[in-house]
Amino acid sequence: MNAAACLTLAGFYFAIWCKQRQNQVYLLFSCSAIAAAAISAFELCMLNSRTVGEYEPLVRWIHVPTWVLTLSFVAFVRLYLHAGRAWLAWSIYGLRTLVLILNFIFPVSINFTAITDIRQFPWGGQMVSVPVAAPNPWGLLSTVSLVLLLIFSVDTSITVWRRGDRRRALLVGGSMIFGAILAWHVPLVIWGVIDVPFFLGFSYTAIVAAMGYELSNDMARAASLARELEMSDKRLNLAADSANLGMWEWDIVRDEIWITDKGRAIFGFDSSEKLDFDRFRSRLYLEDRQSVLKAVEHSLGTGGEYESEYRVVLPNGQLRWIAGRGHVELNRDGRPVRMRGASLDITKRKHAEEEAERHRNEMAHLSRVTMLGELSGSIAHELNLPLAAILTNAQTAQRILANGDADLGEVREILNEIVSEDKRASEAIRRLRLWMTKREVQQHSLRINRVVRDVLKLIGSDLTNQKINMHTELTSNLPTVTGDPVQLQQVLLNLVVNACDAMANSDAAQRHLVIRTGIETSNEAITVSIADRGRGISEERIEQLFEPFFTTKEKGMGLGLSVCRTIISAHRGKLWATNNAERGATFYFSLPITAPDEQVVIDGNGSS
Amino acid sequence: MRALEPTVFVVDDYAPVRNAISRLLRTAGFVVAAFASADAFLAQYDPAASGCLVLDLAMPAVSGLELQEILAQTGSLLPIIFLTAHGSIPQSVQAMKQGASDFLTKPVNDEDLLAAVRTAIEKNRVLRHEQAELSEIRARLATLTPREREVLDYVVAGKLNKQIASDLGTVEQTIKIHRAHVMQKMRVRSVAELVRLTQRCGIGAR
Repeated sequence: MNAAACLTLAGFYFAIWCKQRQNQVYLLFSCSAIAAAAISAFELCMLNSRTVGEYEPLVRWIHVPTWVLTLSFVAFVRLYLHAGRAWLAWSIYGLRTLVLILNFIFPVSINFTAITDIRQFPWGGQMVSVPVAAPNPWGLLSTVSLVLLLIFSVDTSITVWRRGDRRRALLVGGSMIFGAILAWHVPLVIWGVIDVPFFLGFSYTAIVAAMGYELSNDMARAASLARELEMSDKRLNLAADSANLGMWEWDIVRDEIWITDKGRAIFGFDSSEKLDFDRFRSRLYLEDRQSVLKAVEHSLGTGGEYESEYRVVLPNGQLRWIAGRGHVELNRDGRPVRMRGASLDITKRKHAEEEAERHRNEMAHLSRVTMLGELSGSIAHELNLPLAAILTNAQTAQRILANGDADLGEVREILNEIVSEDKRASEAIRRLRLWMTKREVQQHSLRINRVVRDVLKLIGSDLTNQKINMHTELTSNLPTVTGDPVQLQQVLLNLVVNACDAMANSDAAQRHLVIRTGIETSNEAITVSIADRGRGISEERIEQLFEPFFTTKEKGMGLGLSVCRTIISAHRGKLWATNNAERGATFYFSLPITAPDEQVVIDGNGSS
Repeated sequence: MRALEPTVFVVDDYAPVRNAISRLLRTAGFVVAAFASADAFLAQYDPAASGCLVLDLAMPAVSGLELQEILAQTGSLLPIIFLTAHGSIPQSVQAMKQGASDFLTKPVNDEDLLAAVRTAIEKNRVLRHEQAELSEIRARLATLTPREREVLDYVVAGKLNKQIASDLGTVEQTIKIHRAHVMQKMRVRSVAELVRLTQRCGIGAR
C-alpha cells in the first residue's frame, strides 16, 4: 500500500517533469518516490522471507534504492529549497556511493558478514522475519552517512527557517529530520541493540509525502498565479486599448514580432499578417526611417531604453505619427534577445503642435516685417552705401579710360573695390530676404556673437542717426546655442530698437547702449543682455511688458515683446527685464547651450 | 601752397565711398584731402585753405551738420557739399539754412558731384576775393586821421564842403584839404567811387 502510494506520486510528477523538462525538481522527486516504493517493497519481502537464501539478496539489493533515494533526496533539497551546504551534500553522495560499492564487494552486504538463520517472531499482530547474523564493521560507514544526512537536514531546516520560510522549514525540514532519526533503527537492529524488523520504507514515505505535499502546494499556487496572470493580462489589455496603446514584443533571435490588435490597427497591419522587423521598417516614413533605425540600434547596442517619435505611412497613403517606447532584454552573454514595448498614436497631438508652431511663426514673421518697415531708412542706408561706392568707382574708371592714358593699376584697384562692394550689397539683400520670407523654423547650432554682429549691421546706421553710443562686450569662444538665426536676430533687434526708443528723449550724452554676451555660472545657458539709460520701467509693469497688445509707445501694436518671449520660449530659453540700479533698464534673454553631440556649427546667419 | 591751390576736402566715415569719391575727384584733376571723421578733419584744418568740403551727413560722434556749425563759428569760407544716403527733409532744410552749397544723395552721379564741386570752388574763390577786397578797404580806412574820418562820413552822406565846415566849426578851405587827403588815401577819384567802397564796409548807411 505504502509502495503503491509512492509509485502513484512518482508517476504523477514524472509526467509533470516530462512536460517541464527544465524543472529538474520533478524528476528528482519522482526518483525519490520510486526509490521509497522500492525500499518498502524490499522490506515487505524481507519480513516475509523464510530462508537465509531468500533473505541475503534482499539485504544486498535494498542498498540500490537506498542509494538512489539518498542522492535524489539531497539533490532535491538543494534545488528546491536552495539550502544545504555543498560540501555536506557531496560528502553524502560520496560516502553513500562508497557504501554501495563496498556492499557488493563483501560476501553478504555492507551490514552483515554472514547470516546464519532467520528468526521469526510476532510483531504488530503479524509474524515477521529478522536475520540472525554477524554485523559487518564496515557498516559503520553507512552509519556515518546517516549522521551526515541528519546534520544536512538540520542545517537546511535552520537556513530555511532563518530565511523566514517557516512553514517549509517545519514541513520539509521536520520530515527530513524525522526520517533521518527514524533511519537510526537500522544500525541499532543490526548491532542487536533493539529487536524490531526494518521499517525504513515508512520513514522515507513520510519524507516523500512531505515533499509531494510541498510540490502540490506549488502546483496550486502556479495555477492560481496563472489565473491571476490571465486576469491582469485582460486588465492590461483593456487599459492599453483604452489608452490607444499598441503593445508589442520582438523576438530578435527569430525575428518575429507579436503585437496586439490595437497595435496592428495603429500600424495598419492585417490581423492575420505575420510580422518581422522588415515589415515594420517598410511602414516607416522615409524621412524618419534613419532616426528610428538609429534609436533601435542604439538601444540594442547598449541594452538601454528605446524611445522615438516617427511617422508611418498607412496602406491608404495616410501619414500617422507614432511615439514608440520599449526596452531590450539581454541574455547572459549580453546579447539582445527580445525587445518589448508600446506604441502610441500621437497624430492629433503632433498636428496641434504643428498648428501652434505655424501660428507662432506667422506672428514672428508679421512682427519682423513690421519692424523692417520701421527700419527702412537703416536698410536703405545699408544698401545705398555699397551702391554709391560702386557707381562712383565705375564712373571714375570710365573717366580714366576716356582720358586715354589709362593707369591699369588704378583701374584694377577700382574693379577690386567694385567687386567687394557688390558682394556687400548682395549680402545685405540676402539678409533682408531671409527676414522678409516666411519659412519654417530652422534648428542650427549657432554662435550668439555672430547674431549680435548681424543685428548691428542691420541697425548700425540708425544708431548713428539717433546719436546712440553703442558698446558691445561680447565674451569670446562661447559655446553654441541651437535655434533659428533669423528669429534670434529678430528678438535682439526688437530689444535694441526698444532700448533706443526708451532713450529718444534723453540727453545725447546719456544715450548709451551696452550689449553683453556671456555664459551663466551654471554653464548650461548663454545670456545676452541689452542695457539702456532710458527712463526705465515702472515696477508694476515689468511683467505686463511681455503681454500681447501692451505698449507704452504712441505707435506700435504692442506685439514686439510678446512675440520675443514666444520665440525665446520656443527655443527653451527665458526672456526677462530688470531696472538698472542707476538709470534705465536691462533686458536679458538666455538660451540653453547646444548638447555636445549636436555641436555642428553653422554660420549664425542661417545660410542653409 | 595750399592757399593758392584749391583743395577738395572729403569727410566720410565709410571708407569705400570715401576712397571712390577721392579717386573720382583726383581723376577729374582736383587736389583732394580725405578724412574718416569730422575730428580728424578739424585736427589739421587750416582756416586759410581754399577749395570746398564734401561732407557725409550721417557720421558717428560729430555729424556733418555739427561740423558745419563749428566751421561757421570760426568764420570759415569753405563751401560745403553734403552727401547723404538717406537724407531726411528736416536735415536737408537745416543744412541749406546753415548755408550749405549743395545737398546730394548717394549714390551720386559723377557729373553732378563734379559740377557741385566746381561751383563750390568758384564760390569760394569769389568769397575769398571779396574778403581780400574788404580787408584792403579796411586797411585804407585805417590810414585816415580821426578828422579825415569825420570828413569822410560827411562826404559820403552827400554834404557840401560849406555845410561840413559849418557843422565842424571850421573854414571851407580846411575841409577841402581834408577831403583831398581822404580821396588820396582811399585811392578813389570820385565821390561815387568812395561811396561804393565805404558801403561795402557798412559805412554811410546812416
